[in-house]
Amino acid sequence: MRTWFAKVVDNKIEQAITSEIPTTTEIVESSEPSLTDKPPRRLVYAPMRTSASVSSITGGVRIKARIDSNDQCVVLMLDRHLLSGCSFWCDQRADAAMYSPLAATLFEQENLASVLIHEMNVTVKLGPSEPFVNDDTARRLGQAIRSHLVAELPVITEDYLAKMPSEDQIRDGLQEVIDNEINPGIANHSGTITLTAVKGNTAYIKMGGGCQGCAASGITLRQGVETSFRIAVPHLGALLDETDHTAGTNPFFTDLHSGMGA
Amino acid sequence: MLELKILTGQRAPSKPPTYEINGFEIAFDEMAGSLVPGGTLELKGSPQSFPHSLALLGPNEGYWDIERIDATYYSGTDDHYTIRLGAVTLDGESKLNLKYDRQPELLDV
Repeated sequence: MRTWFAKVVDNKIEQAITSEIPTTTEIVESSEPSLTDKPPRRLVYAPMRTSASVSSITGGVRIKARIDSNDQCVVLMLDRHLLSGCSFWCDQRADAAMYSPLAATLFEQENLASVLIHEMNVTVKLGPSEPFVNDDTARRLGQAIRSHLVAELPVITEDYLAKMPSEDQIRDGLQEVIDNEINPGIANHSGTITLTAVKGNTAYIKMGGGCQGCAASGITLRQGVETSFRIAVPHLGALLDETDHTAGTNPFFTDLHSGMGA
Repeated sequence: MLELKILTGQRAPSKPPTYEINGFEIAFDEMAGSLVPGGTLELKGSPQSFPHSLALLGPNEGYWDIERIDATYYSGTDDHYTIRLGAVTLDGESKLNLKYDRQPELLDV
């Protein structure tokens, strides 16, 4: 079987053979741009679809769960929006009790490290001392969310929305952290973080330079950038990384030893 | 090995597609089905190399409306997984990311 490299070489040879070879030494000016002038293609992403299996769960609210054992995390995906125009994150039971009845319900179920409620998803991270997250954990959390919604209890409180800073205030707070703390800190790795947008209290960032495609970028984001952001802007909800890491041309780490991946 | 099953939407390209692995353009090994609006095209490729990047190239001329793609990845004799992607439109300036790791199973809870 030919290797991919052989196919590439064959392809190039075929192109060379089939292309017109000038028979004279006369130089012909071509109006067509050369291949080298062609800009690189833009990498696009199609939405990923889940399987079309029919849920066996009844009760009016369909929930699918994805378990990430490495991160002690469960992502619960609902068939409806929980929040529109804002998101909610907290890592303290007291904050949940004050601002989000849904998060408070989840904190009652398990010893949690954090809860993020964003659009149709609830991301629950278990505390480090908890046993490994498993199917039963996901089912308990899913049932708690379903019961909460069926009872028509609020997801967040009016007080949370009333205390929400403006997008400009959130943007300024995050930008100050990026300029004074984060980018100077990752400059040694030729990395940069750019705040691309703030919508409601959800922030979108891009990682560039040595961070783009870096195997440690997840650690940088979760343990460095996110921690600093949340200290500076406590009302920050979801933090989303828009970086196309496959397009990184000079990542600082291209690989990590097993077990170190973010 | 990579297998693609592509359902085309309203606009179809006039020439068979190619794909790109680690920046190199390669032709598919096998092609079956039809590349017409509403048709289903089945493609097979054997890159024989670990993909750091893997993408389906858009047509050099015109547009390709893709309704759905089922991408199946074979990493061993029997070991394989399938990713289902939704609607996207490709053209001569774009390429569709096809590099996806095995997704954790979803549970109904």
